[in-house]
Amino acid sequence: MVEYILKNGIVYDPINEINGEKKDVMFMDGKIVNSVSDDAKVIDVTDKLVMPAGIDVHCHLAGPKLCVGRLYRPEDERRGVKPKTDITRAETGFSIPSCPATGYRFSRMGYGTVVEAAVPPLEAKHTHEEIIAIPNIDIPPLTLFGNNWFVMQFVKEGNIEDLAAFVSAWLKITKGYGVKLVNPCGSEAWGWGMNVHGIDDPAPYWDVTAREVIRGLAQANEMLGLPHSIHVHPNDLGHPGNFPTTINSIDCMKDIEKNSEYRNQTIHLTHAQFHCYDGTSWRDVTSGAQPVADYINKNDHVTMDLGAVTLDETTTMTADGPMEYDLYELTGLKWANKDIELETASGLVPFIYSGRNPVHSLQWAIGLELALSIENPWQVALTTDSPNAGPFIRYPRVMSWLMSYQRRTEMMDNKEVHAWAGRKSALGTLDREYDFYDIATITRAGPSKIYGFEDRGNLSAGSIADIAVYDLEPNSFDPSRNAAAVEKAFSNALYTIKDGEILVKDGEVVKVVSSKHVRTEVQGFEEEEKRVLEQIMPTFNRYYTVKFENYIVHDHYAEPSSIYKVNASK
Amino acid sequence: MAYEEPVTDYDKIVENCTCAFCGSNCDDVDILVKDNHVVGVRHACRLGASKIMEDEDQRLTVPMVRDENGELVEVDWDTALDKAAELIAGSVRPVFYGWSETSIEAMKPGLELTELVGAVIDNQATICHGPTVQAVQNVGYPLMTLGEVKNRADMVVYTGSNPMNAHPRHLSRYTTIPKGWFRKRGRFDRTLVTWDPKYSDTAKLSDIWVPFEENGDYAFCNAIRAVLKGKKLKQDVISGIPKEDIYELTEKMKKAQFGALFFGLGLTHTLSKQRNIDIAIQLVQDLNKYTKWVLLPMRGHFNVNGFNIFMSYEMGFPYGVDFSRGYPRYMIGETTTIDLLNREECDVFMVIAADPGAHFPGGALAHLANIPVIQIDIHWGPSTELADVVLPGTFIGVETAGTSYRMDSVPIFMKKAIDPPETCREDEWIVNELLQRVKKLREASK
Amino acid sequence: MKQITLTPTKFSSIALEFDELIPDEIYGWSKADFEKYEVPVGNTRFPLTDYFDIEVEGEAQSPEEVQMIIDGDAGRVKYIGCKMGAGEIIVNGDADLHAGAEMEGGSLTVNGNAESYCGREMRGGEITIKGNVREYAGTSYIGEWRGMSGGKLTIHGNAGKQLADAMSGGEIHVMGNCDILAGIHMTKGFIQIDGDVTRWPGGQMKNGAIVINGRLDRLLEGFEPEGIVADPVVEGKEFTGKYIKYIGDIGVSGKGTLLLNAEKNRHHL
Repeated sequence: MVEYILKNGIVYDPINEINGEKKDVMFMDGKIVNSVSDDAKVIDVTDKLVMPAGIDVHCHLAGPKLCVGRLYRPEDERRGVKPKTDITRAETGFSIPSCPATGYRFSRMGYGTVVEAAVPPLEAKHTHEEIIAIPNIDIPPLTLFGNNWFVMQFVKEGNIEDLAAFVSAWLKITKGYGVKLVNPCGSEAWGWGMNVHGIDDPAPYWDVTAREVIRGLAQANEMLGLPHSIHVHPNDLGHPGNFPTTINSIDCMKDIEKNSEYRNQTIHLTHAQFHCYDGTSWRDVTSGAQPVADYINKNDHVTMDLGAVTLDETTTMTADGPMEYDLYELTGLKWANKDIELETASGLVPFIYSGRNPVHSLQWAIGLELALSIENPWQVALTTDSPNAGPFIRYPRVMSWLMSYQRRTEMMDNKEVHAWAGRKSALGTLDREYDFYDIATITRAGPSKIYGFEDRGNLSAGSIADIAVYDLEPNSFDPSRNAAAVEKAFSNALYTIKDGEILVKDGEVVKVVSSKHVRTEVQGFEEEEKRVLEQIMPTFNRYYTVKFENYIVHDHYAEPSSIYKVNASK
Repeated sequence: MAYEEPVTDYDKIVENCTCAFCGSNCDDVDILVKDNHVVGVRHACRLGASKIMEDEDQRLTVPMVRDENGELVEVDWDTALDKAAELIAGSVRPVFYGWSETSIEAMKPGLELTELVGAVIDNQATICHGPTVQAVQNVGYPLMTLGEVKNRADMVVYTGSNPMNAHPRHLSRYTTIPKGWFRKRGRFDRTLVTWDPKYSDTAKLSDIWVPFEENGDYAFCNAIRAVLKGKKLKQDVISGIPKEDIYELTEKMKKAQFGALFFGLGLTHTLSKQRNIDIAIQLVQDLNKYTKWVLLPMRGHFNVNGFNIFMSYEMGFPYGVDFSRGYPRYMIGETTTIDLLNREECDVFMVIAADPGAHFPGGALAHLANIPVIQIDIHWGPSTELADVVLPGTFIGVETAGTSYRMDSVPIFMKKAIDPPETCREDEWIVNELLQRVKKLREASK
Repeated sequence: MKQITLTPTKFSSIALEFDELIPDEIYGWSKADFEKYEVPVGNTRFPLTDYFDIEVEGEAQSPEEVQMIIDGDAGRVKYIGCKMGAGEIIVNGDADLHAGAEMEGGSLTVNGNAESYCGREMRGGEITIKGNVREYAGTSYIGEWRGMSGGKLTIHGNAGKQLADAMSGGEIHVMGNCDILAGIHMTKGFIQIDGDVTRWPGGQMKNGAIVINGRLDRLLEGFEPEGIVADPVVEGKEFTGKYIKYIGDIGVSGKGTLLLNAEKNRHHL
């Protein structure tokens, strides 16, 4: 029963509207408390920046395509090699770190919870095995549904009740947290080497459209009352002129009523930067960020995350199989692909984002333009779609850009980025700067609400004691003039506290703990789930290549667990 | 073949067990149990069935240590484990090899031990599909799960592989015979093609047999790629195949709706080794311009892929990983087992769930005969003849549950059907014991 | 000028790793420093003096002024000259794996044979091997499509399989024969082979140049003949006589140049 008191820090806790107050934060037995006795251990963080530990809303860190990436990019693994220490194991990987490296690197940045963005049900055990190997962070996985044959069948029939039961059952089977859609109908078309364009282009044979799949799953999601909304990677990722598809995707389900008290949105648009292009080709492409930001400003049923480009050599990996093939045709670099029976597809291609390249520079600008054009920071979350637009270790760099108009201008003026960044986007005209409260919102408080994580992303009494302290003194430090210092500080937490234990001190990992598998379990749909399972079992048995008994994720793969129970409505 | 009566004398059937033989990991195997013995097996092919049914034959049942006369004598577990731990703790260039026929759960303490003592950890890929991994690392990996082939493929190509002998249910459970969602007539909706210098059992079933000459794989694929780019072939015969046949084959491949290429050691171990696969991968990638094509290596053991996946997620590299300098290094020809043995660098060798005595080249075996060898296995084999310490494990998928990864990387949890013999111990337990004992020895010597 | 002479006294079948003993790191070392040094061998380190007699003469203010001589067989000494940027290393015997790998400058001479990976990922400097090299000389790291990018590798003897895999710059000169798949996946750079070549040079090559002065057994379909050229000039080097010129590898839409000595390669016409 050890009590701790973090003394005299400058606290940013937007959920509780605490904006840079000098305040003590107290915790005991892994939870935040309002008071402690005089025996409490004192951690002196006088004048230092204190926030809840970071929450990453979208990252690719644990699962089958990570291993395809690691296996086929030993040159990337070699790049990030770090010898073992007494506390940490050896690390490998730059854009695709090994599991231990992933845990240590997030922990060093003060992160406590990272969502694995896309899990194919057939290989969900693999994701859970990787979560077991990743230390120090909690990981909620999102299960892929947008190209699933059963989903498409239910959607085609307009059978939302059974669809909801299916989703509920499958979340339990895969031990997932929420519902993910990636290029709905497009990755199914990729099963034939094809793709779909726009939300009204039907998938070959199934004859359902993305519009129908998005609406169907949104309805099912709300019927179940899941803590997160549907999480959507729209069609046409990366194509010039794709912003209308993006707006259509987030608009087409606007009428669907929200069934959740904690979150505000009914759809989360992910790595929006890749979905905000205007023009018709890579020659005349310009930023499509304004119309999308405009839409989001007028509609609070949408949240988004950035997918900001960091200008690194990285690896793209996504369930958007056809998009990865297109990227392979564009770059000629080694292409990997993995189609998954009845469920989804995926692809990987290394990518070298360069500030000398006009298109990459424009992509860089668009990510930032979006963040600076959306008025409400609660609708914005910071990501790089790691590793697609850049590795997650660059989050502090992106923060430093958002906080400093000076730095952004400098990069455009001294040609660290190509002139297209300024010329073809509105970035140059946006002098808005995020402050620490905004950063805490887009990396902690906002994600907490977006995901329905009531117990984290905030420093409320009863919440888990996931806290980060950084070596910055907000009262005497101007982030807009010190981008490098911002990046350095956020990359090396003074303290990372997880469940009340100090895991990082002075940027070094001092303790290694197991990560929790975070999932939802719907209560009240058991009869429907049973019925739907019985109904689909003949099809399952005939067309899958594993037995259902061996398909599910057994309990022992997800230890230790953290389960959010939700009560379904009918 | 004589007719055998069906087995009717059993207590229970354990359904949906996973076969622990080849990389097909058939998970529909039913094991018939009586009095904690396996009396029957259903749905397994003759390879899997023989492994499960003949298990008692030449089973290792007790720990053994080789005495001064060179004979293996029974000892108790502590003695054997202590001896093995001493050997490992005192080694300078230890190699821990095998792993492909045990579970992921057993690999974990094995890796921890490797990291602790700075050993090299390697698996059968080093003598098997290592070249595939190398080719993949050079040019990419356009894969699919087997169900995609079952449901969509109208053209299936096997090259350098003879599944009717090595993966007997591959065609019948996964690729060619079953009725898929889009191939409701099963075999009749597909064209089966074999590229093989031999008229193998698979070739005999095929609609098209392309018998290119031995070691001609690279030039053959190079020619197809040239034809795809619109080139007229200069030579009349390439790798033993007339150019007209190459044109025809290329057209057929372009016209398929969904083609799948499966390949094995015929590519990995003939003249151009990984370049055979390198160019086959690029050929499949080229074909994607016209239609849908995918490929898959025919992995030979039920967990050889599992080890590569496990090593990748834990330490970034898939096999042949050297921890001697405190961080993982992967360098073919330097950190791989056969080279370390040929060069006589390895000074202590541990083999688990593998049979190097049966599979390694002579030069490597000559060195193994001269150094201490620790064996963790369930059966006597040529490796036992080389071993100085023998630790009897248990049968994954029959006696012990565990995780494996199929050739297409689908993770499967293998059930247990019976209890192991009392004198044997689970692989995971054995490796963990070694780990703990080596830790103690190192603490003591500080 | 500082001259360091290491004379091998004991053979270790577990190879020594010399990546820390390059001129850039040791130019300021005295004999006592060398005698204190423990060289990595497997998972341990042993005193360098267990394996070598050490002599140090003269002074060096920078790595350029260093000449390191391994005066005997270094067949089990790996990583000689690995990542060196300046100075000179001479081996009076064979060298083990990775000789001159990732070299940036300076020179390495091996008066014997070199094991595989000689000159891997070279960026600059000069390597001369008086004997033969095994596989993957002048290669890239597995998976890395940007391979050797600069410097010059000269092999007086024969070269084994897969020379210069993924070469993206620099020069290689093989005076003897060469085995299969030289220049595979090449994108830039220059290879000259004076002896005979077994099969398939330039497979999957995108660009760069390969000149073969001897006889080539088997050529790939991916190489399109462009006719006979006389006294060609390639990468600023002049060659006399008639050569058959090919462009390829067509399979990757490559525009690399392959020149075969016409006299010796009539069978391809």
